[in-house]
Amino acid sequence: MLTKRKLHALFWVALLILGLGVALTQGDEEIDPYKEAERQRELFRQTSGGILPGELYAAEGEELFTRKRGPKNASLEACDFGLGPGKLEGAYTRMPRYFADTRKVEDLESRVVSCMVRLQGFKPEEVGRDEVKALVAYVASKSSEMPLQVVPKHPNEITLYNLGKELWYRRAGSRDMNCSICHDTYAGGRVRLSPVRSPRQGLSNEWPAYRFEADKLYTLEDRIAFCYESVGVHPPDFYSEPMIALSVYMLTEATKGKHKFTELPGFTR
Amino acid sequence: MRRIHLLATLALLLGVAGGQPGRTGLSEDLAKLVRGSGSSYGEAILKQTPDQALCTAHKNRLPADVVGQFIQEQRSAIKYPKDGRLMGDWKQGEAVFNTLARGNCFSCHFGSPLNVSGNVGPSLEKYGQRGTSEAVQRYTYEVIYNPWAYFPCTVMYRFGHNGLLTPEEVAHVVAYLLDPASDFNTKPALRR
Repeated sequence: MLTKRKLHALFWVALLILGLGVALTQGDEEIDPYKEAERQRELFRQTSGGILPGELYAAEGEELFTRKRGPKNASLEACDFGLGPGKLEGAYTRMPRYFADTRKVEDLESRVVSCMVRLQGFKPEEVGRDEVKALVAYVASKSSEMPLQVVPKHPNEITLYNLGKELWYRRAGSRDMNCSICHDTYAGGRVRLSPVRSPRQGLSNEWPAYRFEADKLYTLEDRIAFCYESVGVHPPDFYSEPMIALSVYMLTEATKGKHKFTELPGFTR
Repeated sequence: MRRIHLLATLALLLGVAGGQPGRTGLSEDLAKLVRGSGSSYGEAILKQTPDQALCTAHKNRLPADVVGQFIQEQRSAIKYPKDGRLMGDWKQGEAVFNTLARGNCFSCHFGSPLNVSGNVGPSLEKYGQRGTSEAVQRYTYEVIYNPWAYFPCTVMYRFGHNGLLTPEEVAHVVAYLLDPASDFNTKPALRR
């Protein structure tokens, strides 16, 4: 039979053990990059009156999307992102994809450029990178938290998937790099404070995203370019086949891994 | 006799030149897409050294029948500082270790008192506990100079082999890790 006094003692001993446990795990605590990003996100929300930087880019993109602009004085509302003119809901989940009108596999970024050229009459060299990024943020925001659905079927899509896979594994440059040696071999680890994920683990599912470390919006192409720069290889041109090929490869693998997009635009380191 | 030699050399040269297009390891239509994406990218990606090509072909895991010769080739190309000292100045090594555009060691290895590190490489915390025997210095120097001489196809850069660091700079990093007076061994590693 437990007396009241014994129960009391037991309670204090239990509390002590619990406290010790907490103290020990606290001291050894590893940095969790996801918790850290979440903390930063909340800080931003609190100091900005509830608006995240990514949402500002998307709002700017919406304004650019609906305003009549360019030599043809047209908006982008007739732009077809694969589901029909002006249909934006979920369109990003199936990109990059083959477009019959341009006869090319286009990612969201190059599709925005195509529409600005074809619908608004801009010359390709007149299309600014910043407006493309804002428009990408807007269109992508219509696929926020939706499951990825990139499955190469058209022969050109399959060609780019294969190229992306070749590039993923190809070791080159003065640092002997390829994507796989970090993202596959060390998936789940950390390089500095950035988590390393494999394509199957959903790498690529948070872009376009606001990177609080850089205080800028990065699209998937921006992020690929940053990866190349940080390993000393001059990145491929924006909208080029290697950019789209790597996007097809990563997003296809993330689709196989049954991943969803994060909130879009994302918020990350 | 001399003429035959000349002819043989010529044939060899032609053979090498003729073999060029196929040597990218990419099919011609894929290589074309890479070339069209910016000249410096195309150049960097399409130009592969034979050892890079081998690591690519085997997805970074070399089979037993090639690994011996591979390691031997990597090891035989290691060069050492002119004065023969494998441990240089730890203070200069500190700058190399902790600078992104130079050694960038902290991005993967734990143990620096100056930077929060990543964790994909083995922890180097208090590396100097190994002492400063010739064997320890040599192993440390050679792994930094060319990690592929010990760990074929690993992610770590071949700092000396690829000319990213001079032999003297590699020796400075060795000192940063091994010198008992180095901050790396006297100060606690930065945890967060």
